[in-house]
Amino acid sequence: MTKYVNPQLAPTNRPPRPVNKKMRLKESGSLASALMLAPSIFFLLVCSVYPFIWIFRYVTYNYDGIPAHTRYTGLRNFTTMMADTKFWQSVGTTFEYALWKLLFIIPIALVVAVLLNQKLRGSGFFRGVYFMPTVISSSISGMIFTFIFATGNGIINGIMQNLGLMNQPVGWLTDTSVVMAAVIIMSVWAGFGNYMLYFVTGMTSISEDVYESSRIDGANGVQTFFKITLPMLAPVLKVVLMLAITGAFKDYEAIMVLTNGGPGTRTNVMFLYIYNLIFGTGANSARQIGYGALLSLAAAVIVGAVTIIYNLVAKKLDDVV
Amino acid sequence: MAKNKAQIVYSPSQKVMRFFLWLLLAIMAVVVVFPVLYIILGSFKANQELLLGGANIFPRNWIIQNYIDAWNQANFAVYTKNSLFLSVGVMVISLIIASMAGYVFSRKHFPGKEIIYGVFTAFMFINVGSVSLRPLYELATQMKINTSLWPVILFSAGGGQATYIFLCRGYVNSVPKELDEAARIDGCSFFQTYSRIIIPMLKPVLATIAILSFRQGWNEYIMPRVFTMTNDSLRPLTVGVNMLKNAGDGAAAWNIMFAGATIAIIPILVVFICFSRYFMGGLTAGAVKG
Repeated sequence: MTKYVNPQLAPTNRPPRPVNKKMRLKESGSLASALMLAPSIFFLLVCSVYPFIWIFRYVTYNYDGIPAHTRYTGLRNFTTMMADTKFWQSVGTTFEYALWKLLFIIPIALVVAVLLNQKLRGSGFFRGVYFMPTVISSSISGMIFTFIFATGNGIINGIMQNLGLMNQPVGWLTDTSVVMAAVIIMSVWAGFGNYMLYFVTGMTSISEDVYESSRIDGANGVQTFFKITLPMLAPVLKVVLMLAITGAFKDYEAIMVLTNGGPGTRTNVMFLYIYNLIFGTGANSARQIGYGALLSLAAAVIVGAVTIIYNLVAKKLDDVV
Repeated sequence: MAKNKAQIVYSPSQKVMRFFLWLLLAIMAVVVVFPVLYIILGSFKANQELLLGGANIFPRNWIIQNYIDAWNQANFAVYTKNSLFLSVGVMVISLIIASMAGYVFSRKHFPGKEIIYGVFTAFMFINVGSVSLRPLYELATQMKINTSLWPVILFSAGGGQATYIFLCRGYVNSVPKELDEAARIDGCSFFQTYSRIIIPMLKPVLATIAILSFRQGWNEYIMPRVFTMTNDSLRPLTVGVNMLKNAGDGAAAWNIMFAGATIAIIPILVVFICFSRYFMGGLTAGAVKG
């Protein structure tokens, strides 16, 4: 680097550079870099830090959106939360939803990625097709599936009745026993492309030679998958599982559009319950923003705890295997 | 000796096996495409046909009246304009702030840098859901800027910036530092180095950010829904079409909603088909670097 401050290298028609040029170079950008960083810092403070602090301020308040009604209530929000069966029920629903979603989305994404890795004709095209749902807004995919799962004129019921698979239309979105299936189908459809792509990327880093030697040794496809692909994919799988877990716990936009938590509270996941406390206009729900803020923190803690537990389990498994 | 892939010869039984695997992929592709195809084709059906249901995915009679009605009567011209404004706004702001911050984070050493960086990272993982929209909404109301889509654009770009900054920083790291120094010797200021040397080098990652942030703006739902609760003329497509669903019994306007949903997904699908490389590249790059 010193060659740049060597005055002899400078063109002769320029005045000689001062000896401490390097120092000046370092300092000269300070103001500029501060100004260039300022917008990001500003947005960070306004969009992330400020709301976070705001939440803590309102945790102990009763607040319905009208500033004049704001009252300090001490620990009352907290005791309400402990006794709020609706909230804890929604936490349970979230766990149920996340579990079902993960049970389907991860194996499907993994199997599809393995098939794509066989270098069959049109693999690139198929990969694009499977990824396509992830670029569609979750609100629109929720809407598409309200039409598809409609009881009277939905196409799923139409097709299944035509094929003779059911005698009378199923109330996909109105029957508490099947609505969770409808929600899971929608969210698996909308999201598996992401995880598939992570797996595909992970697999491209597995050397072709390994597969070749396994082929020479006479391993079949299933053996290759369990003995080579899966172990070598373990680090990617761990990260993908983590993303999938946190993602599943955060889902609520599409569910809000598809079922709005119903019928009853059957699909009311916790972030949807909280949304309705803070922005709800429903007749049965008076706005409780302070209480909603506390529940948001509780939800964040729950998601955090699940993540930590997952990491601990993953680490333990690492040691064993 | 590494064999050329083209030289792999499959036995007949393997060929049959591979055909079945291919068939599996093809069936899967049909299942995945089906919902989107159903909406697009359904938008050309008459409302009576939609309300009747049945198993036929193709329209009996192709009509475009749904689009004319959606565009003229159901305000979709305004929604489309708002969606474009929102997504282009988020894209432009994301590109500017992320490339500048990524450059500074990569090249400059200043006190507190690690702390700022840590705060960025922390807020990528802290998720408190929709509650954080409440203070932002009240802020916008107090500043009386909630009569336009600007608060949604700013808050959306501000909320999503961390990923883009990490992408940029990672890319600037791979640009040789000597290039900066050469530019500086030739008399470029810090900002000129950024605008004349670094920006042209960043084109691939900027393309990825442009695509991802455009999609982010186009698909934004909860935030514009909250911010345009009382102002129909500001709603983007995602909100407009869903408000139609909530209004009334919903049964009345299936054709308009099909047309509206199609208007909302076609542009982003076209962008995806043209730039699928950047969509998929951006996802994995973000995961590795972030």
